[in-house]
Amino acid sequence: MTGARGLRRSSPMASFALLLCLVGVALAVPSVVVEGTVLLVTVAFAAVSGERPIGFFRRLRFVLLFALVLFVAQALSVHTGHAVVAAPVQITAGGLLAGARMALRFLVILSASALFVQTTDPDRLAQGLIRMGVPYRYGYLLILALRFVPFFQDELRSVREAQRVRGIEVSVRSPRRIVHAVRYTFVPVLVSGLHRVDSIAISMKGRCFGLHPKRTTSREAPQSGWSLVALGVGGLVIALAFAAARGRWI
Amino acid sequence: MPSNERFDVAISNLSVRYPDRDRDALEAFSETLAEGEVVAIAGPSGCGKTTLCRTLAGFVPSMIPAIVSGDVRLGGESIRGVAPEALATRVGLVQQDPDAQICTLSAWQEVAFGPENLCLPAAEVRARVERCLGELGIAHLRNRVTTTLSGGEKQRLAIASILAMQPRVLLFDEPTANLDPKGIQALFRTLADLVRVEERTLLIIEHRIDALLALGPRLVLLDRGKLVERYPARERIDYAEVGLRGAWSLPPAEATAGSPRIAVDRLSFGYAEPLWRDLSFSLREGEVLAVIGPNGGGKTSLLRLLAGLATPREGTIERAAGTRVGFVFQHPHHQIFERTVRREMELEHPRGTDAVDAELREARLEGLEGAAPLSLSFGEQRRLTVATTLARRPNLLLLDEPFIGQDRQNVLWMISRVRETIAGGGTAVLVTHDIPLADALADRLLYLDRGTHLLGVPDEVFGRLRELGETAFTPEAWS
Repeated sequence: MTGARGLRRSSPMASFALLLCLVGVALAVPSVVVEGTVLLVTVAFAAVSGERPIGFFRRLRFVLLFALVLFVAQALSVHTGHAVVAAPVQITAGGLLAGARMALRFLVILSASALFVQTTDPDRLAQGLIRMGVPYRYGYLLILALRFVPFFQDELRSVREAQRVRGIEVSVRSPRRIVHAVRYTFVPVLVSGLHRVDSIAISMKGRCFGLHPKRTTSREAPQSGWSLVALGVGGLVIALAFAAARGRWI
Repeated sequence: MPSNERFDVAISNLSVRYPDRDRDALEAFSETLAEGEVVAIAGPSGCGKTTLCRTLAGFVPSMIPAIVSGDVRLGGESIRGVAPEALATRVGLVQQDPDAQICTLSAWQEVAFGPENLCLPAAEVRARVERCLGELGIAHLRNRVTTTLSGGEKQRLAIASILAMQPRVLLFDEPTANLDPKGIQALFRTLADLVRVEERTLLIIEHRIDALLALGPRLVLLDRGKLVERYPARERIDYAEVGLRGAWSLPPAEATAGSPRIAVDRLSFGYAEPLWRDLSFSLREGEVLAVIGPNGGGKTSLLRLLAGLATPREGTIERAAGTRVGFVFQHPHHQIFERTVRREMELEHPRGTDAVDAELREARLEGLEGAAPLSLSFGEQRRLTVATTLARRPNLLLLDEPFIGQDRQNVLWMISRVRETIAGGGTAVLVTHDIPLADALADRLLYLDRGTHLLGVPDEVFGRLRELGETAFTPEAWS
């Protein structure tokens, strides 16, 4: 932990509570101003945790691209309010607003989740959850899920390289090509993932996982009392945001 | 954990048959492993070696369905019906692919995982972790994220995590597969200590018996699920006669060096920092270059650069006009895309049924035309990817550890195909940790390590390595 800053220093449960707050508020309050503010707060947390905003968004470039697609799709398909552009396609103020809300909401959820994953040690998070009473089998599910993220990234890269070497073109320009792309890209990755799951299951059983109802925690875990407080505050913020939205305070 | 009670492993009449298979994977196998003994199991791919290990550790039939008959007794007690997690303090299995058995995100936590499951006191867990990390020489990795470790580091971590359970019997499924020659020697020194000091029993599956000589194992040969021969410890074995890898004596290649095929000039490559700088060499038609060196030295990266799949930091790579690249990846499943073996081959031969049949016959895959490629054994998948790669008639053939998990017959088949390619004017670049094989096959050797590279004819490179004290990378270390 030496030299760690911001969320990297905080307890995993506090980070989890912050994630819940950011995502909860963005989902509860359908307001461009609130969603934009939450996004800025997320970037600020990233900055104080040692993430440079440019680098943070560069890693999220595909998310930004997808948010842009969502914005354009909404702007083109929602026709409420006065027309901003009439021809060749109709774009209305309501469509632009709906697009902005959806794109911002999407950005908040993905950027807050990315910040959480980048700044939280999953082992410590799992230990924290287990100390709060979550059965350790479920705590380890979280670790395994995160263990598989880089695995799938590596597998995907290798499969794409193998496609290039064998001259297999993969594109999504027609339904037939999409089926082709799924078969030639995701099926090998998925099959590989299933094999990996089998091997890891053997490895875990081979080290007595599940033999006893409890297991030793040999690393210092965050205090569950403070974790409960952090989660409680997070829940309260979300509840207030929902109440404010229903009562139209915002 | 020495004890007054003997802890022999007695296997009697053990047969295993997987569902939907027409023959037993293991047939009436009987053997006794005395406490503190080292036994190597060898035999052709698919002969039942891995099945034997998985049955002894209780994974077959508990997690991998199969019909099992016969009996296995550990220290006199039958393991029939005992769950693998209840056997784990007595028998520990290190699987072939270390990456596929690491289940946590930090090296320290990975070693602690088993002892924590045993509900040991935290102080005892910490002591075991530090001891095992130290024994495997990876104490410096304790805070590393597991996904950032090299293959060799992961292998040592996987072994440390099993040692932390303190099983009395250790089963290894091809422990040398991902280790460089130095790593193999270090691992076997550790295992020799475990046998000598703690009287652990070791059962090691290995194609490269030459790599095991330092342990002086008793050798058991399997074929098609049956025990075919036993050799006492330290008996000299004619590898070629019994079909094992080692003692390669290949006839001279028929190819002669022709026009330049690829030229590498002042190449630098690396991630956070350069792995190596100013690497220059050129290869001509008819040449075989073997690339050797420690884990993490950038061998696979070099192949990716030569194939055009990665971009160098500095320097250039020029391929001759008309160069057709064929790249056999280290893991065959990355290169398999179709639903059946035949369709996989037809990706390369859209109209040539006869050509497909001939290729499958040569690769000893006849009879498997309708099988799903990803359901094949590792060795069969490897032969399929070699066959599909060669079907493109490449004249620049890149092979990344093609011999892992292969028996002598498969290795010889691959060598014959490499030589056909170079005899037809091709060039081959081969990454391998099998030093005697590299010596026998290559015209030139490239030794790659972080910050170091040596290039020349094999005798010249081996001479320089001896001067540098890197004797593990010389052939005499494996004879």
